[in-house]
Amino acid sequence: MRPTPEELAAFADGELDEARAAEIAVLVDDDPALAREVARHRDLRAKLSAHFAPILDQPVPSRLSDAVRPRSTVVDFAAAKQRRKRLPRWSLYAAPALAACLVLAIFVGGRPDASTGYADRQLASVLDDQLVAGQGDEPTRILLSFRDGADRYCRAFSGAAKSGIACRDAQGWKLEAAGDGSAMQGGEYRQAGSDTAALMAAAQDMATGPALDAEEERRARGAGWMAR
Amino acid sequence: MLPRLRRFAIGLTGNGADGDDLCQMTIERALGNRDKWRGGSRLDSWVYRIMRNIRIDEARAGQRRLQTFVDEEAGGSVGAMGAQEATVELSDIDAALARLPDEQREAVVLVMVEGYSYREAAEIVGCPTGTMNSRLVRGRDALLAMLEQEA
Repeated sequence: MRPTPEELAAFADGELDEARAAEIAVLVDDDPALAREVARHRDLRAKLSAHFAPILDQPVPSRLSDAVRPRSTVVDFAAAKQRRKRLPRWSLYAAPALAACLVLAIFVGGRPDASTGYADRQLASVLDDQLVAGQGDEPTRILLSFRDGADRYCRAFSGAAKSGIACRDAQGWKLEAAGDGSAMQGGEYRQAGSDTAALMAAAQDMATGPALDAEEERRARGAGWMAR
Repeated sequence: MLPRLRRFAIGLTGNGADGDDLCQMTIERALGNRDKWRGGSRLDSWVYRIMRNIRIDEARAGQRRLQTFVDEEAGGSVGAMGAQEATVELSDIDAALARLPDEQREAVVLVMVEGYSYREAAEIVGCPTGTMNSRLVRGRDALLAMLEQEA
């Protein structure tokens, strides 16, 4: 069946399910007019993203960064404390993460601190084995797992000594962001620490989708945390 | 996130000064409403939704408020599109985008500039995924017609 314009756009954007995408790929290969249509769509997309890309590198005007900065910490702590009593786990760091995310965007330009280091053996084994679901009082906790723009599996972790975000590549767990870990002592305050909020914000910025759920985590562990 | 928020705002409004005004209002509203955010939905989608809702409110109010802000701030902030070398060529795209109906421009910017999936873009806008898909196609066709005519 000949694709509709909507289907063809969805095909060019990689939005179709595999079966239909495969069918259309065959049609596109055989039909220069369809191939041209797909190329036009992708050209426009490339043109538009190139047109707007420079904005990302411009300094953020100070009136915008000022709008974000002053209120974050104090108010958020109160909000987080209140929320801790009634909402499920994710929301414990939701409010601070929002402000921290906006704040962090100013200081690190939306990218976490790059570090050339890799996780040591002890940390690597935690990152390899420990799942978010079913964690108890482990000294280092995994906050969440996600996939980043480079299609790596990444995990945010937090412990008394060290916290950060590590992404799995061919060499090991590369540390992409580091916190000081000090916010992580004492059970009740565990998830509400500002350090954790900053990590969650950094994770939010790096992630290309939602955090992995328990099943996805198990599967990723099964695959040695290597994508594909 | 802030640079991306600016990009979206500038994409929606068509120029740097309006975009930054929109961005500022969005940040203020997002911080004021941050207890309404539920983790689990992406933070950026949530903030984008706030932004496009403000944009709609402003459009309904005849953009008077945005206009006032711009007048006051004139010269104070450098427009994103202003000082670039390729201004002439690039402004074709701005002009073409500006001529699209709001909902098509929004669809084009969310998917083709911001890189959201159709489903995510539809969630931000609050419409069915299929509607997002067809707005995108109509917006794309109109843009191509304008741009190819000029070329």
